Amino acid sequence: MSPVPGSGRMEQLAQVVAERVVSLVMEAIDIDALLDRIDVDALISRVDVDSVVSRVDVDKLIDRVDVEKIIQRVDVEKIVERVDIDALMEKTELGSIIARSTTGVASEVLDVIRAQGVGLDDFCARWVNRLLRRRPEELPLGPPTLVAAPSHPELTAGAA
Amino acid sequence: MVPGAPAEPIEGRQGHYAGAVSRLVAFAADVGASWGLFTLGAAALAFSIQLVSGTKFSLASYQVVSVVSLVVWEFLYFAYQWALSGKTIGMAVLGIRVVRTDGSTIGPRQAVVRTLALPLSFLLLGLGFLGILTSRNRHALHDRIAGTAVVYSWDARAARLRWLARQDPAAPA
Repeated sequence: MSPVPGSGRMEQLAQVVAERVVSLVMEAIDIDALLDRIDVDALISRVDVDSVVSRVDVDKLIDRVDVEKIIQRVDVEKIVERVDIDALMEKTELGSIIARSTTGVASEVLDVIRAQGVGLDDFCARWVNRLLRRRPEELPLGPPTLVAAPSHPELTAGAA
Repeated sequence: MVPGAPAEPIEGRQGHYAGAVSRLVAFAADVGASWGLFTLGAAALAFSIQLVSGTKFSLASYQVVSVVSLVVWEFLYFAYQWALSGKTIGMAVLGIRVVRTDGSTIGPRQAVVRTLALPLSFLLLGLGFLGILTSRNRHALHDRIAGTAVVYSWDARAARLRWLARQDPAAPA
């Protein structure tokens, strides 16, 4: 029972009127137009982010985070399924790495074959010179223009 | 090689007359490569004819045609490559090239004459090749006829630099 007679009814009436008024006001207000009038950039520019950040205790925040719980909630298999391995391989340029490595091996094999050839050439030439009783230093090393200029640019370009 | 003897330095051979072994191996590689390509070409031709006409075709059935084709192919194989760059596939692998006797670049005329003279070195029981070992300028018979010489185009110093560049910097020298 209310201490003042009839005050309970008055309260109920006031409640109903207030609800109706609020509902009418809310309907009348164009929220979008109101938001349009607010300059969000200006609002943000007035916020001192540094001071806000400095007030945050990051360690405390991290302590409150249960990492194990987060990890348990992450579906790793689903993430892996979503990874485009082919695109990733393209980005890592694995093909060019393999090509570079293969070229390196090929040129090394080529160098070895050539070096072996030159060694055997010398071996044969030594024996022939011995048989023919020739002195190697008396023999011409190569065509006059090439031996005079050992680092012939044309030949350098031809060397693999 | 004599065991224990110091290693023969091979640097700075670029432009020197190439020896018999390098030339022989290069020639063998060229014979293999040209025969391989010819066989592939003949197989491709036979397959194409069979596909179009529906009848079985083999170049080996036409001996004269196959011999003439082979001779023409071998001529083109050697003459074209010598005229183009002074070296064939086998020579490129072994790091040697054909030049004129004065060391200048070989022209198409020399390339053709050398290719035509090459069989002569065979026809004389292979004696035409003996000059590579015995002559002062390591000239074979076909080299004398065409006025050419074979020299090393391979720069061993560049090879050594490549080898050094591939070494792991962290590895002990």
